Amino acid sequence: MKPGAIDYLILAIYFAYVLGIGWLVKRRVKTASEFLTSGHSIPVWVTSLAFIATNLGAQEVIGMIASGAKYGIMTAQFYWIGAIPAMMFVGVFMMPFYYGSRARSVPEYLKLRFDEKTRGFNAITFAVMTIFSSGISMYALGLMFQLVLGWNFTASVLLSAFIVLVYTYLGGLTSAIYNEVLQFFLIVMGFAPMAILAVWKAGGWSGVMHRLPAVMTHTWRYTAHTSENPMGIEVFGMVVGLGFVLSFGYWCTNFLVVQRAMAANSMHAARQTPLIAAFPKMFMPFIVIAPGVAAVALAKMGIPNILVPANAPNYNNVTTLLMAQFYPSGLLGVGLTALFASFMSGMAGNVTAFNTVITYDIYQGYIRRNAPDHHYLTVGRITTIVGVILSIGTAYVATAFNNILDFLQLVFGFVNAPLLGTFLLGMFSRRTTAHGAFTGLVSGTAAAAATFGLTVAEGKGGWLGATIYHFPSSMAQNFWISIVAFTVCVVVTWLVSLLTQPKTAGELENLVYGLTKIPHEAGVPWYKRPGPLAVVVGILTIILNIIFW
Amino acid sequence: MEDLRIPIGSFFVILGVLMLVAAALGASNAPLAPAHVNLWAGLVNLVFGGIMLWLARRAA
Repeated sequence: MKPGAIDYLILAIYFAYVLGIGWLVKRRVKTASEFLTSGHSIPVWVTSLAFIATNLGAQEVIGMIASGAKYGIMTAQFYWIGAIPAMMFVGVFMMPFYYGSRARSVPEYLKLRFDEKTRGFNAITFAVMTIFSSGISMYALGLMFQLVLGWNFTASVLLSAFIVLVYTYLGGLTSAIYNEVLQFFLIVMGFAPMAILAVWKAGGWSGVMHRLPAVMTHTWRYTAHTSENPMGIEVFGMVVGLGFVLSFGYWCTNFLVVQRAMAANSMHAARQTPLIAAFPKMFMPFIVIAPGVAAVALAKMGIPNILVPANAPNYNNVTTLLMAQFYPSGLLGVGLTALFASFMSGMAGNVTAFNTVITYDIYQGYIRRNAPDHHYLTVGRITTIVGVILSIGTAYVATAFNNILDFLQLVFGFVNAPLLGTFLLGMFSRRTTAHGAFTGLVSGTAAAAATFGLTVAEGKGGWLGATIYHFPSSMAQNFWISIVAFTVCVVVTWLVSLLTQPKTAGELENLVYGLTKIPHEAGVPWYKRPGPLAVVVGILTIILNIIFW
Repeated sequence: MEDLRIPIGSFFVILGVLMLVAAALGASNAPLAPAHVNLWAGLVNLVFGGIMLWLARRAA
C-alpha cells in the first residue's frame, strides 16, 4: 500500500479538525464538572453516537473484521445477542439510577449505594484498566503504521499521543465526545465502501453464501453443539455468557461508555442515549464484519494477497490488505484516517474516563475533600497529562512483553462480569449490603482469575499449573469465565448480605428500584419514550437474527 | 462552538472535494478498485457534508 499526497493531505486535515474542535470547546470549559463530566449539557444525538463510537476503537474494528474472516457472520452475535439487548437494558432500567443519583462516575454510584471500600476497589481496578487499554491502543497504532506504511513506531505513538493530549487537555470530556462523533462518521465513510466493494466483487451476498461453507453465513443454525461451529460455542454459552454476562457487564457497568450517557442534558436524554445508539449499532456488522466474511470468499476465488499466508492466515491483516486491494489514492486517505481516528479516540475515551475517576474518586475521595472547584479543574488537567504519559509507558511495556499484555487484556475482560452482579443486586434489591457487595465483588474477581488459571484454550490460561478443563476456543473460555465470575459474585454478595445490616430506605432514595422516582412521561410522544423505543429496537434485532439465522 | 454539525459538515465536504480531485487525476494504484470508486465515494461524502451544513443552517 502506497498512500499518495492526497491521502496525507486528508490525514493532515483531520488532525487540524481534531485540534480545532478542542480549541473551540475550550471556551466553554470553565469548571471541573464541565471539564470532567461535560456539565450535563450534550444533546442526545451526540451522546448516542459517542456511546457507540467509544466502543469502536481500531482494535474492535480490526478485530471484528478478523473475526468475520475467522468465524463468519456468527461474529455478529456480539451485536445482535450481545450489545443490543444490553443497551436496551441500560437505557430502560439502569439509567434512572445512574442519572438520578447525580453520581459523577460509576465508582461514585457504588459509594452512594454501598460504601467507600467498594468504590475504592472499583476506582483502582478501573483506573489501571483504562491506562492499559489506552497504552495497548497506542501500541497497536504504532505497530500497524510501522508495518503498513513504514512509519517509525515512536514517531506514530508520540504524534497520536500529542494530538490526543492537546484536545483532551483543552476541552476535556466534551472535546473527546465531539471527536468521537466525527470519528463515528469517518468509520462509516471509510469502511462502508470496503464492505460494499468486497461483497460486490464476491458476487453479492448470494455469491458469498454460495462460495463459503454454510456455517460461515449463519448465526444460530450451527450452535446446538460446540463442535458444529469454529467458535466452539453452544447456545447456552452464547446466550448466557456473551448475551447476558459479558455484554450486560460491559455496556451497563463500564464507566467508559456509561459516562457518555451521563453527559446528556436531561434524564430523558440519558435514557434515550443507549436506545438511539442501538439503531446504528445493529447495522454495524454490515460495515465491520461483512468485509471479513467476503474476504474469505475472495480468497476462494483465487484473488491473491487477501488471506496471507494461505495455510495459516493472519486475520488481523485482512483490514489493511483489503484497503490495499480496493482503495485508490483518495479513498485510501479516508480509510487510513478512519483507522487513525479510531485508534486515537480509543485512547481519548480511556484518558477522559481515567481523569474523572482519579479526580473525583481517588483525589477528592481520599486526598483532598473540600477544595474549591478550580482546584479540581487543575487536578483534572494534570491527571489528563499523567494519563497520556502513563499510556505511552504502557505502549512501550507492550513492545517488550507482548504476551503479558495479551494476558492483561483477557483479565480486564473479567472485571465487568462480577461487577454486573454487584450492580444488579444493588440496583434492584434494598437488602443488598455494603459488606455483601464488597466481598462478592472481590470473590467474583478472584473466581475469574482462578478459572483462567485452571483452564486452557488455544494455549492460553492455565497459569495455576493444574488444568482441569480444556475449552475448544479462547472465545468459549472467555464466555465461561464470565459466567463463573458473575455467579460467584451474586451468590457471595447475597449470602453476606443476609448476615449483615442493610442501609435504611431513606439512605437508598434515588439509588435502588422502588425508591427511585422514574420520570413521568405523559405528553411525551411514544417514539421518544424509552419503553416503546426499546420495543422497536428489539423487533428490528429479532428480524436481523431471523434473516441471518 | 454552538453546533457540532458545522465542523462535521465542512470536514466531509472537504473530503468529498478531495476525492473528486483524486477521481479527476485518475491514477489508481489499487488492483481491484472499480473505475469510478473515488467519484462515487466523493459524491457521497459531499452530499452527506452538505446535508449536515444545511441542517445546521436551518437550526440556526
